[in-house]
Amino acid sequence: MVEEWRLLDTGVHDAFYNMALDEAMATARSKNLVPNTVRFFRWGPSAVSIGHFQSMEEEVDTAACDEGGVDYVRRITGGGAVYHDLEGELTYSMVINEDHRLVSQDIQKTYQTLCSALILGLDSLGIPAEFKPINDILVKGKKISGNAQTRRMGVVHQHGTILLEVDPALMFSLLKVPSEKIRDKLIKAVEERVTSINSCLGRRVGFEELKGALKEGFEKAFGIRLVPGQPIDFENSLAAKLRVEKYATRDWNFRR
Amino acid sequence: MGKATYKVKGGKLIKIQLRERADKIQEIKITGDFFLHPEELIEELEEALVGKPLKEQDLAESIRRLMQERGATLLGASPEDLAKCILMAGGEGG
Repeated sequence: MVEEWRLLDTGVHDAFYNMALDEAMATARSKNLVPNTVRFFRWGPSAVSIGHFQSMEEEVDTAACDEGGVDYVRRITGGGAVYHDLEGELTYSMVINEDHRLVSQDIQKTYQTLCSALILGLDSLGIPAEFKPINDILVKGKKISGNAQTRRMGVVHQHGTILLEVDPALMFSLLKVPSEKIRDKLIKAVEERVTSINSCLGRRVGFEELKGALKEGFEKAFGIRLVPGQPIDFENSLAAKLRVEKYATRDWNFRR
Repeated sequence: MGKATYKVKGGKLIKIQLRERADKIQEIKITGDFFLHPEELIEELEEALVGKPLKEQDLAESIRRLMQERGATLLGASPEDLAKCILMAGGEGG
C-alpha cells in the first residue's frame, strides 16, 4: 500500500493568509489532525516575502510596494527576500512529521531530499535541474527555485518558489538597493543568475501544467500518492486568526 | 550606531547593527538571509551578546556555546562569521 499524503491547491490568496495557512498546516500536522501535506498556492496581490531574520525596512521599498499594490510579509522561515508575482510564480509548501523516513536530523541533507521532488517535477517538463546547497535549485547554473525550511513542534515545514517568469527590473523596483548607482548592475546580475520555466522551455507553461508536473515529481521522489483534499476546519480557523493577529500586523512584519 | 554587512563565502549575508561602549556590546541587532533553527533563538542570542567585549574569538566561542546548549543549527553562516561581522560593525566607530 503506497503511502498517501494530502494535496492542497489553495489557489490565489493574499500574503498574510498564505503564510498563516502554512503555519496552521504545520500546527495541525503536529497535533496529528492531518496527514503529511503538500500545498500549491499563488499570491494575489503580488507580494514580497522576507526571511525571518531580515529587516523589512532595510530589504523592502515599502513605499514602492504600497504604490504598486504589492503586499509585504515576514516569513516564519529564514532565507532571503522573494518577489511572488501573481502571474509569474508558483509557491509550494509541505509539512512532514519529523520522524518520517524522508527527514534527516541534518537540515542540509533534508533540503536536498525534499528538493528532489521539485527537480523530478522540472525534469518531467523537460528541464534538467540540480540542487545547489544551501537551498537553491538551478538550471544550467541559474536559479529557478529558492526554498526555506523550519522545524517546530516535531514537524518539518518547507516552502519554496518556482519561477514561471522573471522580471528583475520589477523585482528591484520593490526591493531596497544599496545605492541607485548599482541598481542596473543588480538587475543585470539577476538576469544572469536567475532563470524561469518559460525561458528554459521557450514557451508559456500554465499553472495547471506546472502543478501536474510537480505533483508527479513529489509522488515519484517520495514514493507517495498525493490525494487532493481541503484544509480542515481547524486549519481554516487557525489561519484566519493567525492572518489577523500575526502575519498582517506591523508588529510581526517590522519586528526586525 | 556601527553597521556592517558580511557575505559568507558559499553562504549567506549577515548584517550587524551595533552600539558599543568601552569596547563592549551595548546593543546589537543581527539580520540577514541565513537560517537559524530554532528561529526564536535570535533574540536570545542578541541579549546574550550584550555586555560582551568586542573580541572576535571570544564572541565566536560565546555564540557557539549558546548554539550547543540550545541544540541550535546555523546554516549559511558560522559563529565565526557572525563574530567577524560584529567586529566589523564595532570597528566602524560604533
